[in-house]
Amino acid sequence: MFLARIDGTVVPASKHATLDGCRFLVAQRLEADGSTGTEPLVLVDLLGASFGSTVLVSTDGDIARQRYGNTTPARMVVVGIVDQMHAPRQRAGRTA
Amino acid sequence: MRLGIVRGHVTLTPAVPQLLGLTLVVLEPVTMVNLRAKNGLGGGKSLVAVDALGAAKGQMVAFTEGAEAANPFWPKKVPVDAYCTLIVDSITTENS
Repeated sequence: MFLARIDGTVVPASKHATLDGCRFLVAQRLEADGSTGTEPLVLVDLLGASFGSTVLVSTDGDIARQRYGNTTPARMVVVGIVDQMHAPRQRAGRTA
Repeated sequence: MRLGIVRGHVTLTPAVPQLLGLTLVVLEPVTMVNLRAKNGLGGGKSLVAVDALGAAKGQMVAFTEGAEAANPFWPKKVPVDAYCTLIVDSITTENS
């Protein structure tokens, strides 16, 4: 699991049949020093995270398989929205 | 999932039986800088993924990596570790 900041939303032209009706977000992985990864990530969102939120992402496909069936390719799922975090030299939380 | 731009297609002769009939695309992952600049460039290290959605050259897709990439073929076991999950229509980020 890791933390990521939501940067935007993805509108799919077409997607795997198991993921009909899902919400997809673009996010950047957060490092301990507050910097972000260089590549954007696409997350499946079950919780309704908004622009600028910090979320907890699970890279285990089990939660997606439970919800969307055994044949779903979904892997990175938002499993929580960060309310407060205590870390040295860094504050994170909902800004939107 | 990461984002990638389809740069081409791959055909295999011969291939292991599990891969026969699958469409393989060459993807160039997109970095955050290029995504924000909307310049059509990728910038990441290329990889090959299975595509069942029919993505065309130049289109942006989101692809799953790891064991979950083989889930769509469940219960068949296939040697696949990257799978195009969705074709991107548009991406809305904070600064657009």
